[in-house]
Amino acid sequence: MHRTLAALTIASLLGFTATATAATLTVSVHDPRGNTVADAVAYAIPEGKVVLPVRKAAAVMDQKNRMFVPHVLAIQTGTAVRFPNSDDIRHQVYSFSNAKTFQLPLYKGNPANPVVFDKAGVATLGCNIHDRMSAYIVVVDTPYVGTAGKDGRVTLNTLPAGRYTVRVWYPEMRAEPAPVAVTLGTNERNDLAFTTR
Amino acid sequence: MSRPFAFLLAGLCALSAQGQGALAWNGFALLRASSVNESGPLVMEPISAQVQVGLDWTPTPAITAHVHLLGRTDAGDSTRGHAGIPEAYVEANVHPGGDRLRLRGGAFFLPTSRENVDSLWETAYTITPSALNSWFGEELRPIGLDASYFHGRLFGGATLFRGNDTFGALPVDRGWALRDHWIVLGERIHLPQLFPDPNEPFYDTSVSAETDHRLGWSARAGWNGQYLLAQFTHIANRSDAMDHGSLENWNTRFDVVALEYTRDDWTVAAESGWGPTVIIAEGEAFVSGLDATYLLVSRRWDRGRATIRADWFRAGDVRDRALTAAFLLTPPGRLRPGIEVTTAAGHHRALIELRYSFGG
Repeated sequence: MHRTLAALTIASLLGFTATATAATLTVSVHDPRGNTVADAVAYAIPEGKVVLPVRKAAAVMDQKNRMFVPHVLAIQTGTAVRFPNSDDIRHQVYSFSNAKTFQLPLYKGNPANPVVFDKAGVATLGCNIHDRMSAYIVVVDTPYVGTAGKDGRVTLNTLPAGRYTVRVWYPEMRAEPAPVAVTLGTNERNDLAFTTR
Repeated sequence: MSRPFAFLLAGLCALSAQGQGALAWNGFALLRASSVNESGPLVMEPISAQVQVGLDWTPTPAITAHVHLLGRTDAGDSTRGHAGIPEAYVEANVHPGGDRLRLRGGAFFLPTSRENVDSLWETAYTITPSALNSWFGEELRPIGLDASYFHGRLFGGATLFRGNDTFGALPVDRGWALRDHWIVLGERIHLPQLFPDPNEPFYDTSVSAETDHRLGWSARAGWNGQYLLAQFTHIANRSDAMDHGSLENWNTRFDVVALEYTRDDWTVAAESGWGPTVIIAEGEAFVSGLDATYLLVSRRWDRGRATIRADWFRAGDVRDRALTAAFLLTPPGRLRPGIEVTTAAGHHRALIELRYSFGG
């Protein structure tokens, strides 16, 4: 009993310490006119040799009302993605992108196996039955990644102190905005702004 | 069944047996009871059944060979209508510069319907489709080449096809109908005589017979927003408008405007088509105007879908309308019970259907 309590206390303290030492980086993305860019992806790549945590839980790209949900899914390299079909009709999901080429034959409900995205890049998804369906899976070599809502802002709030290269991607991107190098101290909050080209 | 499509089907079976590529199949079987079987737009056998199967062989994600098989008890007034192949094609997808180009060759439904959006060209909303899509399912099946191009929110496509020389005969000679009778390759649907006369020949309509050796074409363009889709399609079968034995060719040009709005669990879809169809008899051209429009509103829940659809249709001077209400129960599993009530041209029809999905 005492051992359990002690273990829980230590675990809580460690968790608190990890949270307390994490830096927060807020990235906002605008177009040249100043409009926010929804579904923009921002990610921070640590510089130097750093052992990165690996996400073990599968991510989800759902299909509902003949739309992929979310429209943009940002994941770390090696993440498995499940593709449930929540519609009452069949879908056939495919990607011809270099980042991941695959196709899921026509199905309803849940396909048997998730798809593992083991290479960085952008996979453009479609449904061969419903041409209007499209979505993106952005695969990056870092766990520090997020997707913007309608406000065009991404908050990365579990960054260990250190130096990072911050990059962004957004749908229909023609040229990537220049990456920005940033050094984050313990508990530091930092804001970055990117303008699309 | 024409020979190339038989070869395609045999090839799929052989590849499946050898385990080459990914062969997937899906489909459904249904049992349906109808309250009416009289003539008119709502004609249907009191009890009917269908089985439809789609076979897809995908050797690489960019290439798919598709065969759609159909069997039914209610073949209507037709020859070779009980079983056959509605669709058989090979398609390739390429992605030039992040865009998408899809090339398709074979026999296929024109990929424009905003109502028949499920696999095997099934409607997702009701048991029977609108008058417009009933007609396209029954008398239009391009056999040729189709190219679709998708660039961001814009898309376009063009089709060059043979066959379909009689496209236009059904609405004029028989009248519009609301039924899911997908014509199969090689099938001939018999047309009623406009003025019954035992000395006059009977005529048929067919999608696969090529009698005038003139290619038809279709083109489409549209815009696809997050929730709204707008699309325009033109179809011209370029037939010679002459009789060829028992086949009655109609020269038909038809335009279709489509709008679809889907947000959350609601869908509003509408298509409106119009155009002239011409036939030449005894040296004289007879022109009939055709038009058909539907508007549907559908709401989906976790375990069901309710839809109301209004149809307006005209052939020549004959103008009519229909109102359809449907509820489809979609519990977990493979069974989908459904009920549909339609009133059209003074007729009323109630349908009950039990559908079992398999594969996929």
